[in-house]
This record gives sequence, structure tokens and C-alpha cells, in this order.
Amino acid sequence: MNIGKFILLRTLKFAILLFAVVLFSFILVSFSPVDPIQSYLGAEMMVVSEEQKEQLAEYFGVDESKTQQFLNWLNMFLHGDLGTSLLYRQEVLSIIQERFLASFMLMAISWIISGIFGYALGVIAGMNEGSWMDRAIKSYCFILASTPAFWIGILLLIVFSMWLGLFPIGLGTPIGMLSDEVTWLDQIKHMVLPALTLSIIGVSNITLHTRQKVMDVFNTEFIRFARAKGEEGFRLFARHGLRNTLFPAISVHFASFGELFGGAILAEQVFSYPGLGQAIVQAGMNSDVPLLLGIVVFSTLFVFIGNLLADLLYYLIDVRMKNGEAI
Amino acid sequence: MKVNNRFLLMSVLIFACFLLVACTSQASDSETGKKKDSLVLAIGSEPTDGFDPTTGWGRYGSPLFQSTLLTLDRNFNVQPDLAVDYSVSEDGLEWTVKIRDDVKFSDGEPLTIEDVIFTFETAKNSQSVVDLQNLKKIEKLDAQTVKFVLERPQSTFLYTLTMLGIVPKHAYSENYRENPIGSGPYKLVQWDKGQQLIVEENPYYYGKKSPFKKLTFLFLSQDAAFLAAKAGQVDIVSVPPNLAKESISGMKLIALDSVDNRGIMLPFVKPGYDAEKGIEIGHEVTSDLAIRKALNIGIDRDKLVEDVLEGFGTPAFSVADKLPWWNEETVFEDGDIEAAEQILMDAGWRKNVDGIFEKDGEKASFTLVYPASDQTRQSLAIAFKQMAKEIGIEVNTEGKSWSEIEEVMHSTPVVMGWGSHDPIEIYHLYHSKYRGQGYSNANYYSNKKVDQYMDQAIHAITPEEANEYWKKAQWDGETGFSALGDAPWVWLVNLQHLYVVNEHLNIGEQKIQPHGHGWPITEFIADWTWEE
Repeated sequence: MNIGKFILLRTLKFAILLFAVVLFSFILVSFSPVDPIQSYLGAEMMVVSEEQKEQLAEYFGVDESKTQQFLNWLNMFLHGDLGTSLLYRQEVLSIIQERFLASFMLMAISWIISGIFGYALGVIAGMNEGSWMDRAIKSYCFILASTPAFWIGILLLIVFSMWLGLFPIGLGTPIGMLSDEVTWLDQIKHMVLPALTLSIIGVSNITLHTRQKVMDVFNTEFIRFARAKGEEGFRLFARHGLRNTLFPAISVHFASFGELFGGAILAEQVFSYPGLGQAIVQAGMNSDVPLLLGIVVFSTLFVFIGNLLADLLYYLIDVRMKNGEAI
Repeated sequence: MKVNNRFLLMSVLIFACFLLVACTSQASDSETGKKKDSLVLAIGSEPTDGFDPTTGWGRYGSPLFQSTLLTLDRNFNVQPDLAVDYSVSEDGLEWTVKIRDDVKFSDGEPLTIEDVIFTFETAKNSQSVVDLQNLKKIEKLDAQTVKFVLERPQSTFLYTLTMLGIVPKHAYSENYRENPIGSGPYKLVQWDKGQQLIVEENPYYYGKKSPFKKLTFLFLSQDAAFLAAKAGQVDIVSVPPNLAKESISGMKLIALDSVDNRGIMLPFVKPGYDAEKGIEIGHEVTSDLAIRKALNIGIDRDKLVEDVLEGFGTPAFSVADKLPWWNEETVFEDGDIEAAEQILMDAGWRKNVDGIFEKDGEKASFTLVYPASDQTRQSLAIAFKQMAKEIGIEVNTEGKSWSEIEEVMHSTPVVMGWGSHDPIEIYHLYHSKYRGQGYSNANYYSNKKVDQYMDQAIHAITPEEANEYWKKAQWDGETGFSALGDAPWVWLVNLQHLYVVNEHLNIGEQKIQPHGHGWPITEFIADWTWEE
């Protein structure tokens, strides 16, 4: 199987996936109990005349059938237009652009940190199976895996921002400072707690996975043979375990883009960090269909690219796959 | 174990980096000695659709960046702002407004009559919360005067003139919402979306200058805003009631009265079917005047404020308490269970063995619906249920989503909340011509006399004259839509809006706050002072 065919197949798969995800999201939003006009007007409902409400119904597109609304959107999308957000009164694409950059930095940093730490912890635990270290790391991961990101976020805020005063409380930039005065140091300072929150959460998945892999590898014949030769500790792992466990770990980590995205949304809410998270929450709560579907398309693409990269990496690195043995 | 050492070393290094980053710029945060001329506020949510008045920005209080033709002072008297004078024709259809000739936008360009016309035309076509459907056309009379021609007389058009900030024709584009230029007290310097808004004083502003040259509005989540206040980083923060009792050193709690009210809408007519609209309407029990009156007089509103709102509220007797068009006579002594029972006895209701009133085999019982997403309304519903039981009226409570509520609200009592600075709200809530039109008059209230008063209020030329008729519609001594008359609603409480403010900051007197939270308090920012 050559790489061209591989990519073609993947693209086709993506198109189908995208359509399914978008359709499903639209159906979900259609069943949402939120009436966009009611949610937009709130208590102003009584001040606005019926004629104006008809105008609003037209604006929000609720005077058309659900099927028609979806077809309209689809038609627009196929012409490369994501439409205009009803709430922000701004092009969906430009909202995504300006917000994704902030989210992306945050996600990239925490993805790398959690990858390094997660893998290291997994190796330590796996190599010392059953020891106190293994048990400690394992319980740490289980606790984290069941801890919501926003809770950790608030905890970090209370400890590091309120008690110790080391880091700012939320936001991505210093309070009241103009953008040309903001230094990269300021920006990093504002990113530390949200990134830490995401990393702490992201670690558990990869640690547990790596631990399992390392344990599997260490129970094989060739490790026993290597041990018999007198190899041990890091040397043993570096020679016989690293390659066997690193690739699965990388692939799992790439595949975790989805969770990363979800975690970022929660962390951004807590830290008022200016990412896509805020936008998607607003869109969902107020039935802003174009914005919601726009972000859904985008996040699907994002997660898909994560998975694709994982597969490609396998394909490029693992000789067996190039020969078409294991696809 | 070489790997562990190296790993340890690396983690220590990374952590050290974090600390270094954290500490280096910490020192610059504290600056003292200078006269305080900037404020940090965490008071409201970010307006998602930006700062364009033609799509609804600044409808309450000051639009901050723009200014309006007229304003309402603290007592809701109309005052000129951009306008020097206005007049209304005898038939109430033509509104002539003359504007100042010395006003400049924050970019230095003069504000002309063309800008006023442009603003109203843009707003009319905006498909937003700004409702100018009744505006037929706008005529320019001379360089300083404009005439608004209405389709139908509407005395409340006055309030539109106080709410719509004027935008510059020459600087209006698709991006205006992000780069507002106006003639208001402040100009936008930087908007970090989702984070903060930085504004500075507008050097061309013609009105009273605020002592604060720079304001920073933070858009933080409620928890983060409160933490920021605790860390001493903000000067004023809005807080929910559950956090209000927690004290922060150096800060004081301010509770502002509002017309942000909550009440129960009772179906007014006998059960039936509105064939024209295709909806089930009315309720057997609540269509009885005695039931509605008994509930109104038997409910203890002070206790509701104490128990449900933790004291942060005031009892409500109408949709517009303390506003100029509110009839003060509609306040009465409540929490009187004996009087409530007497009203029911006189109307032929008798208590059964369970202590619930009955009449002709019909039990005094109904289901009260509240929006399940709103905790305050749920608590009010439950407290109401207990109080009603003491009178001898059985209430069952049920939480529903808004779309479910829309289906049953014409035939089932619902916990609602309104409260506007525009009396058109009263018109939509109580006029019989709006029966069953969406949320307007959803309980099918009708009273010919009340309709007549309200039509007169709409046709009035001056606000004083209009207010007289609004008051009469509530209670004219014989009839009205208040609890003294037909009592189609049981108004319960007005919420207070809570802010935690730096001890040194004096924000002075405020208006009765509207339903919206946050931005309205910036209206009188020119009068705020910093006292060391």
C-alpha cells in the first residue's frame, strides 16, 4: 500500500466522519430546549414588539424547518463558507482564527509536558511493578483520571494565585496592560496555571498506557534473556524497552487530542483564558447554530489530524507497516 | 539508576523556570504613591455582539463609548444629552429633536444630524433587540434638527431616545462593533476578547468628566472574579448572593435595589381553547378572582426575601416597583392568612378535611411551573407552595425547560421575571390585544378599562401624562391590573444586585437597577470618587 492511497483513503474516511459528526451535532442542537430568540432577548422579551420578534425569527433562521436549516448550512459549508455567528455577529471563521491561536499554544505546551512526564512516570511504574513507586503512581493516575479539570484549575488558582500570589488569576494577559507592553514573560506567566491544569489531567492516560506496555515488554522472553546476561535498570530499558514502548505511547498521545480539546475548554472557562472554549460554551447555551457547527467542524479536523499523525508516524517508522503487513 | 537522576534534575529545572517566571515580574505589580486615576472592574459579562448600539449595546445606563439624545436621571426624569430640546406633535406621531452643534466624536470629527439619522436607520434594519418597527421615517429639517415620524403614537418612543447611542456615519463599518467610535465619556483602547476591555477617557467628551482616566473591565468567571477581589486585584466586582456573605478585607458590600422582579403569572380565564392561536388556555382554579386575591394577600413577601434571597431583595407588588409609572397605592399589608381565608370563604370556598379549600367539588389546587435551570425561581416556587398551603391552597411544583413552559404557560401558573426601564413592558404584559402572543400577556388577562388607560398612556404627549395613565391602569380606585384589582399576577420579590467594592471607592447614588446586571452601574461613573 503506497502513501498516496493511504492518504486518499483517510480523506474519504474524514469526509464521512465529518458529515456524521455535523449531522449528529445539528440533531442534538435541534432537540435543545433553548429557544434562541428567548435566550437572546431574556427579560427584554416584553419590550420588543411582535413585529421585531418576527424579524428576529428570520435572523435566527427559526422560521424555516429544521431540515431546511441544515441544508442551508450544508450548502454554505460546501461553498467554503462557515457563515456568520448569530451571537457575535461576526464571521465564524474569524472567531475561530482569533481564538484558536490562544487555545493552540495552551494545548501544545500541555501536550508536550504531559507527554514527557506521562511517559517517564509510566516507565518508572512499569519497571518497578508492584513496588511502592508503582502503587503511588498508579493511584495518582486513577485519582486524576476521575478528577474534573475545572476543579483542579480552581485548586491551583487558590493555592498559587490567592495564597502564594505567584501567578495571576486567570486571563491570558496582565490586567489593564496594552498589548504592545506585554512581554513574552507575561504571556508565559499567564499560561502556566492553565497549562499545568491540562498537563496534570493529561498525564494519567499516557502513564497508565505506558506502564502496561512496559510491563508487557518486561515479561517477554528477550527481556528475561537480557536479564540473564546481566543487564538491568535503565540500560536494559533503553536497549530493549524504549523502542517497543515509545511508539505506542506517541500514538496514544496523538490520539488524545480529543480529550485535550475537551480539557482545554474546561480550563479556559476557569481561567478566563481566551480560547475556543468560551465560544463553544456560548454557542451551545444559546443555540448559535453556525458558530457551534463551525467549531465542531474545526475540532473534528483537529482530532482527526491527531489520529492521522499517529498513524503516519507508525507508517513511517515501523518497517512492518510499510510492507503492508499489519494494516 | 541514571535515568531517575536525570529525570529528577530535569523536573527540578522546569519547576525552577516556572518559579523564576512567576517571581521576576511580580515586583512591578505594586505601584503606590500616585493619585488613583484608574479602576479595575469585574462587573458584567462580555457583550458577545460587541459595542454597537444599533444592535443593542448600552441599552441600559450609559453606552460608555457613545452618548444618547436624551438621558434619564436618577429619578427617571428626562434630561437632554446630545439633544438640546425635543417636542412631540399633538397627535403623538411626530417627534422633533434638536441637537447640540458642539459635539465631537472621539476621533475629533463633529457629530452631525446625519449621524443621528444614520444611527436610527441602521438600528431599524438591524434585526436585533433594538425595536424601531414603529418608526416610519426620519426627516432632516435643518442642520441641527430631525423629525421622527411614527406609524402609531407611542409615548414610550421617548425611552428609545434615551437608550440608543449615536454612531458616526463616517466611521461605521462591519467592524464597528469592535472599534466603536462615539461621543461618550470613554473611548476604547483595547479589547482582548474573552478577557478584558481597556478604555480611556475621551478627550472630546462634552459632559462631566470622571476622575478616572482609565478603566479596565475584566471578563472573569464568577469564581475567578471573586478570587481576584480577594487577591486585591479589582476595585469592584459583582457577586452572587451565596458569596456576598463572605467578607473581603478592604472591600465593602453594596446592595442595589432593582426592578429585576420575580412573580407568578396566573391564568386569568376559564379553561378553553383559543382556536385562532391553536392553544389550550385558562385554568379553573386561578380564573377565580378570590383565589388570586387570597394568594396575593396571604403570601409573606418579606419572608421570601429573607429565606430565599438571604435578605438581598425587596418585596415586589408590581412589575415596576419604584419606577415613575408605578402606582404606590398598590402596596398592601401581606402575609395575612386570616384575610386570605376570609376572601375565600366569602366567595363560597370551604375547607375540606385536609385543610384545602373546595368549591362545588373543585379543589383549590394547581401546578406551578418554574424553569428548571433557575435555582432562585425553584426556591421561590417551593417557598410559595408552603405558604399557599397555610392558606389552604394546594400547589404542586414542577420544573420544566423554557420550550416546555411555552407550551403550557397559557393554562398553568408559571414563575416569571421581568423588569424594564421602559413602560412598554406593562403594555405588552397586560393589554388584551397581546393575549397569547408569545410571552406577552400569556395568561390572557383582559379588562376594557385597563386597556383604555394604557392606550391613553401610549397616546400621551408628555411622560408625566403617560405616567398618570400607567398608574390608573394599575389601580384607579375601582379597578386595575394590580393586586387590588384583577390580580392576574402574584408579584413576589425584586432581587438586589450585589457588588463588592473597594472601601475607598464611592460610587454614589444609583438608579433602581433594571433586569440586566453589571453594565448599568457604570452609568453615573462621572460621579464616582476615590477617597483615601
